[in-house]
Amino acid sequence: MMKKLAAALAVTGAALTASGATAQSDYPERPITMVIPLGAGGSHDLNARVITSIIPSYLEQAVIVRLSPGAGGQLGTQEVANAPADGYTLLFTHNYIDMLQQHVENLPYNPSEDFVTVARVNYAPIAIAVRADSPYETMDDLIEASRENPGSIQMAHSGNWGALFVPAAQFMQALDMSWNLVPYQGGGPALQALLAGDADVTMGFPSSLGSHLDAGTIRILATAGPERIYDDVPTFSEVGVEGDVGFMHRVVLAPADTPEEALTTLREAFEALGEDTTFNRMMGRLGENIDIITGDEYEAMRAEQSVAYEALVNELTSQ
Amino acid sequence: MLDQFIEGFGMAMRLDTVTMVAIGLFAGMLVGSLPGFTTLMAMAILLPISFFMDPLVGIPFLLGIYKGGIFGGSVPAILLSMPGTGAAVATSRDGYKLTQKGQSRKALDMALFSSASGDTFSDIFTILMIFPIAFLVMQFGPPELFAVLLMSLVIIAATSAANPVKGLIMMMFGLWLSFIGTDPLGGVERFTFGLFDLRSGIPLLPMLIGVFAIPEVASVVIRNEKGRKLAALMGERLKFHEFRRCVRTIGRSTLIGTGIGIIPGLGQIVAALMGYSAAKNASSHPETFGEGELEGVAAAEAANNAVNGPTLVPLLTLGIPGDNVTAILLGAFVAQGLRPGPELFETQGATVFAILVAMVLANLLFVVIGYLAIPFFSRLVTIKTSILIPIVIMFAFAGTYVFRSDATDLLILVAFGLFGIIAKAAKFDVMPMVMGFILGPSMEYAFGQTVAMSNGDPVGFFATQRIGALMILLATPVLGYVLWKRLYGRPKTIA
Repeated sequence: MMKKLAAALAVTGAALTASGATAQSDYPERPITMVIPLGAGGSHDLNARVITSIIPSYLEQAVIVRLSPGAGGQLGTQEVANAPADGYTLLFTHNYIDMLQQHVENLPYNPSEDFVTVARVNYAPIAIAVRADSPYETMDDLIEASRENPGSIQMAHSGNWGALFVPAAQFMQALDMSWNLVPYQGGGPALQALLAGDADVTMGFPSSLGSHLDAGTIRILATAGPERIYDDVPTFSEVGVEGDVGFMHRVVLAPADTPEEALTTLREAFEALGEDTTFNRMMGRLGENIDIITGDEYEAMRAEQSVAYEALVNELTSQ
Repeated sequence: MLDQFIEGFGMAMRLDTVTMVAIGLFAGMLVGSLPGFTTLMAMAILLPISFFMDPLVGIPFLLGIYKGGIFGGSVPAILLSMPGTGAAVATSRDGYKLTQKGQSRKALDMALFSSASGDTFSDIFTILMIFPIAFLVMQFGPPELFAVLLMSLVIIAATSAANPVKGLIMMMFGLWLSFIGTDPLGGVERFTFGLFDLRSGIPLLPMLIGVFAIPEVASVVIRNEKGRKLAALMGERLKFHEFRRCVRTIGRSTLIGTGIGIIPGLGQIVAALMGYSAAKNASSHPETFGEGELEGVAAAEAANNAVNGPTLVPLLTLGIPGDNVTAILLGAFVAQGLRPGPELFETQGATVFAILVAMVLANLLFVVIGYLAIPFFSRLVTIKTSILIPIVIMFAFAGTYVFRSDATDLLILVAFGLFGIIAKAAKFDVMPMVMGFILGPSMEYAFGQTVAMSNGDPVGFFATQRIGALMILLATPVLGYVLWKRLYGRPKTIA
C-alpha cells in the first residue's frame, strides 16, 4: 500500500520534472501523454486516473492524462491524429467516438487509417432502466406501450450519437418502435431526469445504476450482452435485439505509424496491468470490469463496428 | 441521524485530516491564483494520491483544494483584473478598482472573509437540510432551468451596465458568440466559417483574460508611467467596522448563493452576479458599485462560495454529480469503497457527516491560511510597472496556452484583447457580453430539451405541466422592469 503510494508520488514527481529513470530498452525514455477527448470527471477520466496511477510501474515512465474535450470528441482525436507517431502520445477513447462519428459527418481525420489499437481496457454493458414505480414491469410492457403510442415514451440520453443514444436508436430500429429522445448533458443528468419523473426510461452502466438498484429506486428491464447480468432480467438478445448493441468499449489508440517496438512495450504493459491486484481492486470499486484485449483482436472488432454503425446512421438519417 | 452526526463530528477531529486539508487549501490557492490552471485540473491531477489515503483524509484534502482554488481565482482578479474563471468575474469589478486606489490588501481580506462566511453558512445549512435540499433538486428540470437562466440574463442586463441599452447590445453579442461552434443538441456547425479550430466554440479563458486584463495592461502602457507602480502601496488590512458594514450584504449573498446552488447547472457564475446585482439594488448608493466598493467584492464572493454546500447534495444523496468538480469527488468516494447514493447515509452516515464537518473545518483553516498568505500576494502590485507589465503579459499568454495547449487560443486572446480595448474606449461594459457568452449555451440547451420533452408544443407544455417554470417566465419581464426603474429611473451621475 505505502509502496504503491510512494511509487505514485515518485511518478508524479517524475512527470513534473519530465525526466525520471531510463529503462533498459529505448522506449519509453520520457513521460507518455494520454489524451482523453472528453471532459473532466466523466467515467473515462476516472478510469484513466486509475490506469495512470498504476501502469507507470510497468512502463517505468509516468503517463500524464490530458483532457481535450470539444466538438463531440473530435478535438482530442484530431490532436492525437496530428501528433508525432512515436509512442509518446496516446488516445483514450470509446467505440462511438472512434467508429461511429465518421458516418455522421466529415472528420478532419480518418479513424480507421490514422489510428492503431494499443489495447481495449474494458467494456461496459448498458442496461435499460425505469423508475421502481413505473407501470412498465417488463421489457415487453415497455415495447408494447412504445408501439401503441409512438413518441409518447420519454427517453433521457446523454447526447446525440453518444453512449446512451446509439443503443436507444438501435433498439428503435430493431424492434420497430419509437421513443421521444431527450438529450441531457451526460449520463448523470439523464438518470436524474428519470428519478425526477421528467423521463420514463433511460439507459446506464452498472457502475452508475448499481446504488439505485440496491436502494430500490429503479428497475432494470434488460441488459446488453449474451449472458444475463441479473438473474431475473433478460438480455437484449432475449428481447429481440441481436448483435453488438449497448457495449461501450474503452480503448487506448496510438497514431497509425507508431513503431512496432513501442506498441509491443505498451501492449505488454497493459496486459500486465490487467493482472495487477491494486488495479483490479480499484476498478472493482469503480464498478468497472477489466478485459484487456490488445492489438489485432480489437482491430477486427473496430472494422465490424464501422460497418454496423454505417448501416445504423444511414437508416436513421435517411428518414 | 443525530447520533451519526455526533459520531461523524468526532471522526473528523483528527490531526492528519486537518493537516491534509491545510495542504490542500494551500495547494488550491496557489494553483487557483495562476491563470490557466484551474481548480479542476489540480483536483484531477491530485485525485490518484487520495486513492491511497484514508477516506477521511483523502476526500477532505480534495475539498481543501477545491475551496482554496476558488479563492485563489479571485487573487489575480483583484490584483490584475485577470479573472481566470467565470466565478471571479464579478469580483474583479470592484476588486481591481480597489487595487488601483491602493487598497488591494483590503479587497483581498474582504474576499477572504466573505468567501469563508458564505461557505460556512451554506455548509451548515446543507448539513441541516440535506434531505429537503435533495427533494428540491428534483423539482428542477430543463424547463425550470431555462426559465431561471432567462431571468438571470434579464436581471444582469437590467442591473449591470451604466447604460442599459449598451448593456443589452453587448449581451446579445455575447449570446451570438456563444452560438459559434457546434450546436449542442443537433451537432450542426454554426458560424464557424469553415474553420475546424472554431468547431468546439470559443474557449472561455482567453476571452476572459482578453477582455478584462489586456485593456488594463494597455491603459498602463499608454499612460507610459515607467517609474510608477500599479498601486503605490498595498494599503491597510480590513478593519472590523468595514466588515460589519458588509454583514447584511454577505448574509443576502449567502442566501442567494445557497438557493442557486440547489438548482442543478447554474453554479458560481450566476450566483456571484445575482449576489452583486442584489447588493447594488439594495444599496442606498448604487453608483459606487463598480468604482471600488468593498460591498461589491463581499457580495460576489459570499455568493459564489455559498454555492459549494448545496452542490454536494445530489452527489451525496443520489450519487449523481452536478458538475465536473463533484464528478471528481464521486471518483474519490467510489475509489474508497464509499458509493454515494441513496444508501450511503444508511450504511456510512457517520463517515459522510465526518466529511461534511471536515468541510466546515476547512473553512476555518482557510481564513487562517488566507490571512497569512494575502500580504505575499499583495506585494505583487508594488512592483514597478516596467517589470510587472511584462510579467502580466507573460501570465496572460502562458495561462491561455496552458489551459488547452492550443495555439489558436492565443489568437483568440489577442482578438478579445483588442476588442476589450475598443469597448473600454467606447464605454461599452464587457460584463453583459461575458455573461451572455457563459449562460447562453446552458440556456439554449435547456430550451432545446424543453422543446424535445414537450413533443414540439412548448407553450402547451409550460401551461399544463410546468406551472412553476411558467410562473418564473411570467415574472421575468416584471422583475426586469422594476429593477430598471429603480436603478435608472432617477437622476444619477454619468458613469
